[in-house]
Amino acid sequence: MARIRFQSVSKRYGSGQSAGQFAVEGLDLDIRDQEFLVLLGPSGCGKSTTLNMIAGLEEITEGALLFDDQVMNNVPAHKRDVAMVFQSYALYPHKSVFENIAFGLRMRKVAEAEIKRRVEDAAQRLEIAHLLARRPSQLSGGQRQRVALGRAMVREPSVFLMDEPLSNLDASLRISMRAEIRHLHAQMRSTFVYVTHDQAEALTLADRIVVMNGGRIQQIGTPDDIYERPQTIFVASFLGSPAINLIEGTLARADGAAWFCRGAWRLRLPPELASAADGAAVTLGLRAEDVQLAGDGPADLPAVVETAMPSGADQYLGVRSEGQTLYLRVAKDARVREGDAVGFTLTPQRLHLFDSQTGRSLRAGA
Amino acid sequence: MQRISHDERAALGLLGPLAVVLMAVTAFPILYSLWISLFAVNLRRPARQPFVGLDNYLHVLGDAQFLESVTRTAWFSAIAVLAVLVIATLVAILLDQEFPGRRILSACLLIPWAIPSVANGLMWKWIYDANYGALNGALMQLGFITQAQVWLGNANRTIPLIANAFIWKEVPLAAILLLVTLKSIPSDLYAAARVDGAPAWHRFVHVTLPAMRPGFLLVALYELLMAVRHFDLFSLLTEGGPGGASDVLAWRIYVETFRNLSFGTGAAMSYILAVATLAASYALIRSMAQRL
Repeated sequence: MARIRFQSVSKRYGSGQSAGQFAVEGLDLDIRDQEFLVLLGPSGCGKSTTLNMIAGLEEITEGALLFDDQVMNNVPAHKRDVAMVFQSYALYPHKSVFENIAFGLRMRKVAEAEIKRRVEDAAQRLEIAHLLARRPSQLSGGQRQRVALGRAMVREPSVFLMDEPLSNLDASLRISMRAEIRHLHAQMRSTFVYVTHDQAEALTLADRIVVMNGGRIQQIGTPDDIYERPQTIFVASFLGSPAINLIEGTLARADGAAWFCRGAWRLRLPPELASAADGAAVTLGLRAEDVQLAGDGPADLPAVVETAMPSGADQYLGVRSEGQTLYLRVAKDARVREGDAVGFTLTPQRLHLFDSQTGRSLRAGA
Repeated sequence: MQRISHDERAALGLLGPLAVVLMAVTAFPILYSLWISLFAVNLRRPARQPFVGLDNYLHVLGDAQFLESVTRTAWFSAIAVLAVLVIATLVAILLDQEFPGRRILSACLLIPWAIPSVANGLMWKWIYDANYGALNGALMQLGFITQAQVWLGNANRTIPLIANAFIWKEVPLAAILLLVTLKSIPSDLYAAARVDGAPAWHRFVHVTLPAMRPGFLLVALYELLMAVRHFDLFSLLTEGGPGGASDVLAWRIYVETFRNLSFGTGAAMSYILAVATLAASYALIRSMAQRL
């Protein structure tokens, strides 16, 4: 059982005159007991540093880290009730699979019979019971991954940390392992903190996602929040494949409504996006899947098709509109050819609007 | 006959001369010394060199002086290799830490290794000198001894003192080799061990030491070869003395060959040394490689 709290935590490398940049700056984060929290962001965003601070592998420069109500800043890693799975698996190369899994228990002086019981139980659950006598070098990547999971599982830790555990696996294995990790979380009743740069992993696994960039938290929320209601341009563009279309323009007030204007194009904005002042520079976010071909009816967005890219279940169109190329998803059977002038209808509730200067969302209540 | 391709012909042309040179300078002396070990070659009677088969070998293996020098060599090698391993490990661990001046210290460390072997011998001869040596001077000033000692004149101390000079010269290279092994240990392993609850000592025993085994094997093997065949210090410091106390194999072979001018038995001794070294190295590789 552990609730993990960061209170204004910063991490800076180097010291004194040579003090470098912040790896993490002013982090405030409350991770609930038994939550599955994913730290998501590009490389160098501070997510792994944050994880390592929980593990006790990195010292905290400023602020406090609490497990439940106990300050952990100066508790060494080997005295924290934390287990961790590394991207490289970090299996002890000279120990057998059994000894790899048992090592943490031996260090904690667990009785031999109990060690045997727990290791064999974990091996059964991970389907690696037949590999216990082997060395890590004799295993495939997926098997090593399971051993690394087993080593963390048998500890029955209150905090379970994972640092990009799936990124060295091939694509198909990665998807099946996601399901297993989700299942593991349900069984273990521990707090999971999971670091990844893979948005699909984050969206699948997380109870809540923390999106980080440049050592700071961009947004904390459920996968739905993060995807549907991004608070910054960064979050909007980091999630979604293909990346969200960002269209710069100005906001105009006329006829009792707010309009997004770019060149000759005017789009009526729904009231919840209309908080900015008249003439403000704004950026419209439009996800590829949030459009429909208008056919012969009235269109919100006129465009010319540049490229049509079938992709199995759907097709993606690269279209040109007001001097910008947008990528939009349409049905596979839509008969569109390159060079066609087409119109799209948009769903107003699914539009995103950001202040171009601050990059923050203009959605009311965001 | 298969045709030789253009590439193969080019390779033959480039490598052929080298192969011939190598044969001339390595294979020929090896085979020639094997050949003369089968003859009673003594330059004092160059005209009469009868074929004696394995007699030289039988004679040498029954010679008490030779067998004593084998024991002495083993004793010297054991001290030297073990001490080099332990000290070089400690030095490597020290140099693996981050501290100010680490680079300068690493550079200084290499000095003993860079010194020519003879210069090293002369330096230690001076340090151990009974009349004006640095060791006597330092120990007397520190009050450990009141009277100058004839360090190399004491038969019980000769081998350890020469081993000391050998170790001083050999530690740097061994430490660098071990440092490379240390640096190759992934930091994730230490992180994993810390999270697994291992304090520093256990991380050393469970992560560092096992990962250093290839380095230990390399260093042990190299130092064993260096120690067993070592000649320079024995020649410069004691010439096998006092009273044969430092009469090791390499020195014995030298005396037999170039002082007694008995090339036949000298060659036989060399061959016994070579085969014994090979056997010891093989045993070492087998015993350590199995646990790699």
